[in-house]
Amino acid sequence: MSDSNEEYEEDIILADLSDEELVEQMFDDLYDGLKEEIEEGTNILLSRGWSAEKVLNEALVAGMTIVGIDFRDGILFVPEVLMAANAMKGGMAILKPLLAETGAKPVGTMVIGTVKGDIHDIGKNLVGMMLEGAGFEVFDIGINSSVEDFFAAMEKHKPDVLGMSALLTTTMPYMKVVIDEMVNKGIRDDYIVLVGGAPLNEEFGEYVGADRYCRDSAEAAAVAVAMVTERRQSSA
Amino acid sequence: MSERKRRSRAGGRRKKIAAREQGTRKYRPYIERNIPYFEILNEEGLALIEKNADILLEEIGVEFRDFPKALDLFKNAGADIDGERVHFPPGFCRQIIQSNAPSEYTQHARNPANNVIIGGRRTVLVPAYGSPFVRDLDKGRRYATIEDFRNFVKLAYMSPNLHHSGGTICEPVDVPVNKRHFDMIYSHIKYSDKPFMGSVTHPERAEDTVSMAKLVFGETFLEENTVLTSLINANSPLTFDDTMLGAATVYAEHNQATMISPFILAGAMSPVTIAGTVTQILAEALAGMAYIQLVKPGAPVIFGTFASAVSMQSGAPTFGTPEPGHVMTIVGALARRLGVPFRSGGGLCASKVPDAQAAYESANTLQASALAGVNFMLHTAGWLEGGLSMGYEKFIMDADQAGMLAVMLQGVDLSENAQAMDAFREIGPGGHFLGAAHTQANFESAFYRSELADNNSFEQWEEEGSFDCAMRANLKWKEMLKEYEAPKLDPAIDEALLEFIAKRKSEFEDRDY
Repeated sequence: MSDSNEEYEEDIILADLSDEELVEQMFDDLYDGLKEEIEEGTNILLSRGWSAEKVLNEALVAGMTIVGIDFRDGILFVPEVLMAANAMKGGMAILKPLLAETGAKPVGTMVIGTVKGDIHDIGKNLVGMMLEGAGFEVFDIGINSSVEDFFAAMEKHKPDVLGMSALLTTTMPYMKVVIDEMVNKGIRDDYIVLVGGAPLNEEFGEYVGADRYCRDSAEAAAVAVAMVTERRQSSA
Repeated sequence: MSERKRRSRAGGRRKKIAAREQGTRKYRPYIERNIPYFEILNEEGLALIEKNADILLEEIGVEFRDFPKALDLFKNAGADIDGERVHFPPGFCRQIIQSNAPSEYTQHARNPANNVIIGGRRTVLVPAYGSPFVRDLDKGRRYATIEDFRNFVKLAYMSPNLHHSGGTICEPVDVPVNKRHFDMIYSHIKYSDKPFMGSVTHPERAEDTVSMAKLVFGETFLEENTVLTSLINANSPLTFDDTMLGAATVYAEHNQATMISPFILAGAMSPVTIAGTVTQILAEALAGMAYIQLVKPGAPVIFGTFASAVSMQSGAPTFGTPEPGHVMTIVGALARRLGVPFRSGGGLCASKVPDAQAAYESANTLQASALAGVNFMLHTAGWLEGGLSMGYEKFIMDADQAGMLAVMLQGVDLSENAQAMDAFREIGPGGHFLGAAHTQANFESAFYRSELADNNSFEQWEEEGSFDCAMRANLKWKEMLKEYEAPKLDPAIDEALLEFIAKRKSEFEDRDY
């Protein structure tokens, strides 16, 4: 191990790298959860004339895709994914105002919350983190969220995706209350609805009228990206 | 040039995958215990057993069959001899053992990094021993071959949770009885560099084992150090035979270790009670270990115990039940009072296949053995069917349990870092610790991580083929054998061993006895 460390302890001067090398290095730095390095890399690419959208998609989102795959495959652990997502967020903070200026859309937007009666949020937070890692803008309305809370957030943020989470068998049926109300108001089809939590399964997801049940945070991110992309293409 | 302090780069995905494959745990050649012993009898109870064992040794005595050398040695030391029966004065055996036998010893491996210390607060985990059959999911149950033997040597070598290569891991029945010891010992030397056990089925085969060990370790080194630990069973009740005594004598004369093990199927070979069984075990072990100390004062001996309860319904041995667990716990305490290393336990079960019965019976005995303070845990991995079958998948399952025992016995870290007060200060109420700096710094080695257990969501498990534990273990042992690389062996030693084996094999006819 010691010899391999030496190889990497030498400071890499990001500005000296070609675009291609820099993006490769940013994949590594995201993977290793190095926030400052990601911020620096983001700025360098912008200074070389890359658009914010291009930096987002080709450096950050592509890098986080690798993180997601290795998390799913058991190579990266939860604390490491959190570090990677945190590094990604550092880059996103730089890109966000630029993206807003150009009117470029993020990969997707999501409102997420734990349903009424339930205060468990670690799993929901992980999903939010993975979605941010995938380039989503995530609006987390927290725990114990009522129909009114979800509706207010949807009204305000106009997200692509609504995500609902529950840990308890006694609170998970509330997901149906929210979705039924969406149907009543005629807005159900305006949103992709994803649900998750330990006591759920695919059948329950269908029963409450969600688009998909997602078994874990990695899958939630993959499903959200795929469904938003598909929806945008079909409406384009 | 940036003045900021950077986190040093870890090398991204490529390095991480390599590091994860290598694992985070450092290989330790044995376990050092840092938790108390589990004991179930008080001083009064243990003293009662010791008194009864002394009565047994004096009044009933122990037979040393067809082995006049033992009778002579005991007679000269002051025991009372009646035919082949030896009657021992109270305290006689204990006194001989306590004034001569070491409380612990080092068994050297050909790779010194794998030397094990046997005794004290240490535990050495060893594969199962002696099965005529092997079993795997693909080919079912069949007689073991030398190929199977080599495979298990390789698997034990590769398992970071096993500290020893074992002995007759399975019986290679495709090789003639009187010559298979050459191939077994050679396999241990060639395919592993962990310590191993010697042949005990004939004094001559013990001599061959010693000769081969001399070629590896050097003659002088062997006479002055222990490089072999070998299994000597008593023929319970209260009998030793010439085969076992003959082999034990050869090893002791060369200063090599023996574990004197009453092999008890309680109810058939000992009384049906725990108290009666432990009394007999103590008496037999005392007699056997005293004999070794008379042959060669100071030669390492282990107090061994193998105890199973016989089903009074059918006569079959049973495993993983509470009573033999109690026997083991009590004998552990008796061995510590005597001051010699203790062998017992393992992943014992009666199940034919690596199913739920196998898993819970084995878990019962593995954990009880660890808590009881076993120093040399023979049969840790692979055992099925009361020892009749060595299971490939079972081996992998047990080796995973073995890894957990090591962590359990390590006890609890109370360092400043382990107290984690900073983590509380950072997170406070209502947050989560997954992103805490303390977690970032410690997560990798924080919890035992099984390579075998599936903890994924139902859906992921289903997508990956709905494999149960045995099916995953099946993939694992095949992958291990595919990746196996033999440890380096000096070609001159290898050549000398092969030459010795060829010469010895040519000196006598193949025989199946």
